[in-house]
Amino acid sequence: MRKYTISILGLALIFCAPSPASQSKAPDPSWDLLKKIVLIPGLSSQEGKVSDFIQSTLPASLKVERDAKANVWFTVGEGHPHLLFVAHSDELGFVIDKITPQGTALLRARGGLLAQTCEARPFVIYTAKGPVDGIIQPRPDYYQSQSSTRAQGQNPTQGQSGAGQNPAPSSPPNPAQKPAPTPVRPQAAPEAFELYFGVSSEQEARALGVAEGNQVIFKKKLVDLAPDIMATRAVDDRAGCAALLAAALQLDWTKVSGKAITFAWDVEEEIGLVGAQALSKILKPDYVFAVDTFVSTDSPLENKRFGNAILGRGAVLRAIDSSNIIPKTEIRKIAELAKKYAIPLQIYNSRGGNDGSVFVPEGAVDIPLSWPGTSAHSFIEKIVKSDLEALTKLIAVIVEDWK
Amino acid sequence: MKKRMIQSILAILFLLFAGAGYSTAQDIKSVVKELFPILSSTGNEDALAAKIEQSLPKNAAKEKDPMGNLYVRFGKGEPRLAVLAALDEFGYIVSGMTQDGYLRLDRAVQPPHSQYDSYLLGHPVMISTSKGPLQGIVAQPAMHLLTRERRDELAKNFSLDLVFLDIGARSEEEARAKGVEILDAVTFWPDLSELANERWAGHALGLKTGCALLLNLAVEMSGMKLSREASLGWMAQTKFPVRGSRSALGAMRAKKKLQPQKVLILDVVAADRDEKSPALGKGPVLVQAKEEASKLKDAIDTIAREKNIPLQYQTGVESTLMNPFLGDTTEVLTLALPVKFLNTPVEVVDFKDVRALKDLILSVIGSGRAK
Repeated sequence: MRKYTISILGLALIFCAPSPASQSKAPDPSWDLLKKIVLIPGLSSQEGKVSDFIQSTLPASLKVERDAKANVWFTVGEGHPHLLFVAHSDELGFVIDKITPQGTALLRARGGLLAQTCEARPFVIYTAKGPVDGIIQPRPDYYQSQSSTRAQGQNPTQGQSGAGQNPAPSSPPNPAQKPAPTPVRPQAAPEAFELYFGVSSEQEARALGVAEGNQVIFKKKLVDLAPDIMATRAVDDRAGCAALLAAALQLDWTKVSGKAITFAWDVEEEIGLVGAQALSKILKPDYVFAVDTFVSTDSPLENKRFGNAILGRGAVLRAIDSSNIIPKTEIRKIAELAKKYAIPLQIYNSRGGNDGSVFVPEGAVDIPLSWPGTSAHSFIEKIVKSDLEALTKLIAVIVEDWK
Repeated sequence: MKKRMIQSILAILFLLFAGAGYSTAQDIKSVVKELFPILSSTGNEDALAAKIEQSLPKNAAKEKDPMGNLYVRFGKGEPRLAVLAALDEFGYIVSGMTQDGYLRLDRAVQPPHSQYDSYLLGHPVMISTSKGPLQGIVAQPAMHLLTRERRDELAKNFSLDLVFLDIGARSEEEARAKGVEILDAVTFWPDLSELANERWAGHALGLKTGCALLLNLAVEMSGMKLSREASLGWMAQTKFPVRGSRSALGAMRAKKKLQPQKVLILDVVAADRDEKSPALGKGPVLVQAKEEASKLKDAIDTIAREKNIPLQYQTGVESTLMNPFLGDTTEVLTLALPVKFLNTPVEVVDFKDVRALKDLILSVIGSGRAK
């Protein structure tokens, strides 16, 4: 009898729970959208194709605007409060700075990647003639550290620096032995990187279509750590773009009244919030919700002193970062909304800036919304599906229920 | 009449399928593409050996030894010429699991240079488990949280002590449920880039191209009439030396098994490193331990000249693959594929070199000059 009472109470709770459009039974498309949008090349200042994708995915009923920089946005409703949600569409990478007489290309960095992780890796160059495969050359002396390891009794191995060359160990191998400490390996500046295409002259490189200004993006692959866990480059901030797109697709925009809602996908965040600055001249929101990565320390090489939002435990309210502090009243408001709609939410502080901070001097309150992401600004930015879905729901309920 | 027609059709079908596998000389590039993603670190060569074995012509006399070496013999008579290539690439093994589900790595053989391990940081890898290949990533700190000091530390002192392999598990139990076990092989993500001028780049691409080339040779040889026996061998554990010696274990075993009179080692050689090193795209490299008269060398020189096959030379190189064959009556030479950026995740090979090397070896086998 007690069992039946609990069941009936449970059913009653389900029917009494708020049921905004964001809680619709339609599957959340954010994960699938992310898998598509993350693969589109869109280096800072060359985001056109990402913007095209966003525009073509948005419902036709929305009046979408686009500026010369490829910022994309739409506004529904009017009056106040005016809520702006913004995710950035650009990603990190390089541009071709100069083509050498030897047919390689020198690079200029767009945003910060750890230099050593770029060496000896495949990249794609987006030229007027189409994508071209290239590799960032390893530093010229990469193999010279061999001599220091040979003295440690390392294995003679096939093809070390020549055909089956034998480093002539003085003792049998000891697999447990650590390699000799790596000799001083100065941090390579991206400007020292050279891109190799397989050619040996400038003329040949140009014949491939390679030219100064081409964007150079890491050859991306989706690493499926589980059906609902993925790692790849540019999750920052294509996950934010996907969450915003998914919310735009799920919301019933005809029900927005007594406030104005703007969704924006802006450019050039990684090189100094440039797109957001352009938008701030047009849009004057009361609240801006920057939708971007929460730099989580839920990773074995990080200090857990702060930022320890756990992957798989829901969306994150980025309460304090390097560019903004959310007022406590607004933190409580978001926390209450999340509780009301049973959205898992973590509240932490971490590092990094966000586009919303640009609007604060103009009078807006900046409330960055996130998912917990590890290894930010790497080739293996990791994300969990349920966190992205929680973020999408949070965006939707704020649109519907913000007073 | 009808019976004869059926017999003819059957004969044609037999001819078509007698070789099975790569019964026709498949373009070497497609063979490389098939072998490239197969993980084959030292001690874990079984999958690559199995793929090669199943692709060999059906009529070839195959043999395998318990260590994983694979041999195929053609022709009859005394064992004369053996062409041998390595099966194993540099790689890692799962050596432990943390309580929170990360995998720790070690290696069975030392890396080719001390920068090698640092290529792992912040990149995906493949793990070979009993349940099949598993994808993982080597954890990297977020850029936003790296101080200059830590950044320098990662650049200067990176080692396997800093490698935590993330497979999306939250506990050791979850990791094991994914099929991971201690000693599972781990290697770099098989990322193949097709560059210009028939040049490709990828991890262990030189080695895999050598394996593919030998397989391609097997297909060609299955259609040749040889007056003496010639054998091909894919050697496992070549990066592991026989204890106390400078000889690769796999090569030592190949010598015992085949007892050849002449040996061609099909290897890789670093290209484009300096003015003295072989050049990519300028043909295969004939490598001698020391400069000395050799009938085998003379034969190769002559064939290369007659057939207009470009050939480069390197001497003074001691090789763990050649060592077992040195010092007795066996004549041994290395014919190597020049590889740019050797022992990095982006080894570059030039298919003009690959074809030239194949033509050269095939001509040596076919000419009988190596007798």
